[in-house]
Amino acid sequence: MAQTAHRPGRTRTGHKVRVGAGVVACAIFLFPVLWMILTSFKQQRDIFTTPPTLFFTPTLEHYIGYLQRADINRRLVNTVIVATGAGIVSIVAGSMAGYALARIRLKGAATIGVLILLSRGVPPIALAVPMFLVARRLGVTDQHITLILAYCTFLIPYVMWLMRGFFLSLPRELEESAMIDGCSRFGAFAKIILPISMPGVLSTLIFSMILAWEELLFALVLTNRFASTIPVAIAGIAGDTVNGANWGALTAVGTITVVPVVIFALLVQKWLIQGLADGATKG
Amino acid sequence: MESKADGGAHHAPSQAWSKLTDTLSRWSFMLPSAILLGALLAYPIFYTIQISFARFDLMTFSAVEWVGWENYAHVLDDYRFWASMKVTLVYLALALPLQIVLGFGIAFLINAEWRGRGLVRALFIIPMVVAPVVAGGIFRMILDPLWGIMNYLLGLFGIGPLDWFGDATLAMATIVIIDTWRWTPFVVLIATAALLALPRDVFEAADIDGANWWAKLWSITLPLLVPIIAATFVVRWLGAVKMFDIALAATYGGPGGATNVINLFIYEEAFRSLRFAESAAMAVIILVLTMILTGVFLHGTRKLEEYY
Repeated sequence: MAQTAHRPGRTRTGHKVRVGAGVVACAIFLFPVLWMILTSFKQQRDIFTTPPTLFFTPTLEHYIGYLQRADINRRLVNTVIVATGAGIVSIVAGSMAGYALARIRLKGAATIGVLILLSRGVPPIALAVPMFLVARRLGVTDQHITLILAYCTFLIPYVMWLMRGFFLSLPRELEESAMIDGCSRFGAFAKIILPISMPGVLSTLIFSMILAWEELLFALVLTNRFASTIPVAIAGIAGDTVNGANWGALTAVGTITVVPVVIFALLVQKWLIQGLADGATKG
Repeated sequence: MESKADGGAHHAPSQAWSKLTDTLSRWSFMLPSAILLGALLAYPIFYTIQISFARFDLMTFSAVEWVGWENYAHVLDDYRFWASMKVTLVYLALALPLQIVLGFGIAFLINAEWRGRGLVRALFIIPMVVAPVVAGGIFRMILDPLWGIMNYLLGLFGIGPLDWFGDATLAMATIVIIDTWRWTPFVVLIATAALLALPRDVFEAADIDGANWWAKLWSITLPLLVPIIAATFVVRWLGAVKMFDIALAATYGGPGGATNVINLFIYEEAFRSLRFAESAAMAVIILVLTMILTGVFLHGTRKLEEYY
């Protein structure tokens, strides 16, 4: 199988085995998501069967039932607000700082770079306790802005580092010529650098929003009713041992959470993959 | 403000003034991040350190009196802390190598040239954007001892039924499986790009010299991939030390603490048991350990890059 690694076409069966194995691996990785979506349309009696059934009369009862019961709508709106807000704040602040690190000579920039990288290793639990206490004292628990700011702690370093990589890969002449033409440093950044970095900016923004969308720890700690997000609801359903396994609700809410993100990610998959590759190689 | 700084630099009456505005315009790019991270990252860390050395009063909900290393002594005496540390280490030691090896292996497979290659690669994005807490939930269902499809499928081969959540060893396996499912695709995507970027001519030369695939893998592919493998490891490490949601949704640390990773343990101690001071002490210990190890890994990555 691996014999054909760098000799494409040498053995056709080897190539076929390799393609086949790749497809099987992909199918295995997709199966849990498909199974979740399938289960979300099953009636209660079709969920608990041996052997598990593939053919059933589909129903929307879990979607309708749960959407009404658990405030999922409000949580969805909250999650969208928080993810968008956190994404935008961190892409603005983070890409400016990333640009400074990549392009502007600053005293101590190297130290700042190391600090940022290290800050990506700060476990959120070390921030959760003081944030909870401070938010409680200031009376800002359970508000969107609190969660947005909390998410900045891990999103800004992430954006900074990725964008620094993007900006480093751009030719230096770009803004030099712009600045000779009378552009300010900020003007060169906004008018020349940002537009040509759009793929990088957008893929980083989308990734930041996904990270905020699925965050659980800060959401658990900093919200309770009003600003609570979808992951908190899912954790609640999954961990509900009193009422037993409510797989219908779990899979329905799971599907609602996952499907929009999947569609979004697949639409921009080219940029996402590029961004990932660059992020890892140019770090 | 910035526009004047550079445009007017040539005509500025005072050189010192233009130098000042130039410095300001340079640093203004860092300003928003610096303020946000200072207030939201640096300050809470200092606050955590402060609480970790204090007695925490639940009536006023604040740190009241300095107690020195007392909280740390309590934590280091607590067998549950050490148990949780061990669980976390086992999880990291199993999950990280598994994900790297599996990721690069699958990347090699799906890089075979055929029409569907782009599609297969795009589909690997899907598990990567499933919220970890959802992943934990789905696998709770798939691995259910009674009704889960996994035990049914294993049963067809005469295996099991396995008690994925009731047995301590299997529960750890469950966590590793879910985490691996969620994160291997991330490694796959990075590895795919890295493999595609390998220079072809080196392999052609090796072919001409009659090198077998093992020799090529061992002396060409791997050395070329070492920097990227190291970088992927660091990124995964940064994610894995924060693992919390999967354990919370899938096992809630059970059975009997067998999957109680340190983040979940600290969370429970702080927000369920309201032992904020001890939690802060634990958080500081974890923070310091993570910082040291991250520094070591980053340093190692640099060294590897220079070496290869």
